[in-house]
Amino acid sequence: MSTRTVAIASRTGLHARPAALFVKAAADQDVPVRIRVGDGPAVPAASMLAVLSLGAGHGTEVTLEADGPGADAALDSLAALLARDLDAEEAADA
Amino acid sequence: MPDLLDRAAIRLDAVAADRDDAIRQCGHALEGVGAVDASYIDAMVERERSVPTYVGEGVAIPHGTLAGKDAVRHDAICVLRFPDGVDWDGHLVKLCVGIAAKGDGHVRLLSELAQILLDPDSARALRESANVDEVIRLLQPAAQEVPQ
Repeated sequence: MSTRTVAIASRTGLHARPAALFVKAAADQDVPVRIRVGDGPAVPAASMLAVLSLGAGHGTEVTLEADGPGADAALDSLAALLARDLDAEEAADA
Repeated sequence: MPDLLDRAAIRLDAVAADRDDAIRQCGHALEGVGAVDASYIDAMVERERSVPTYVGEGVAIPHGTLAGKDAVRHDAICVLRFPDGVDWDGHLVKLCVGIAAKGDGHVRLLSELAQILLDPDSARALRESANVDEVIRLLQPAAQEVPQ
């Protein structure tokens, strides 16, 4: 199993817009990706409710997991997304 | 501090013409309990256009943009049920939990709410209960104020 651990960069945490972008990106991957906080249960990264239930705030370290061909590429892309301040990008758009 | 969920911010038999109407009703409910200024309502509609807040299970969680936070007076949620459903970008929404939160309060609040909704029995009870007290009881873990 491949894993990546990354701190949530979005200033308001993994909810709302950052969560919506992340969940959509996770659903678009070729492999199922799971996400967890610390040693907590890993939940489907493509489920908005599951991702919101993590309660991951700014700076919270989350771990992404996936198996199979393409897992590393999927995790690299999703980890890079979480390492960006997606809220700042919203402010820039406005 | 008041509880996050005021009885006056719960409506079990709301009717909305469309998604934006439903969001505005949530905003008015939050305004009605003194949680937000009127400008927050536009921020909620704006947020929805930028990022839909449908989360599954027939539930949407409308809330304002980051810029709208200045219009929040205190953290609060409202619960509006639409028994006839509201077309939400192709999803049928029967329950709206409107959210007003300053700072990071919303992260814990959303987490509690999501954990409740991930339980299919709780989610169904929230969509179908005819009783305000039961709605409050179901949302209790989310609605309790944490010491700041």
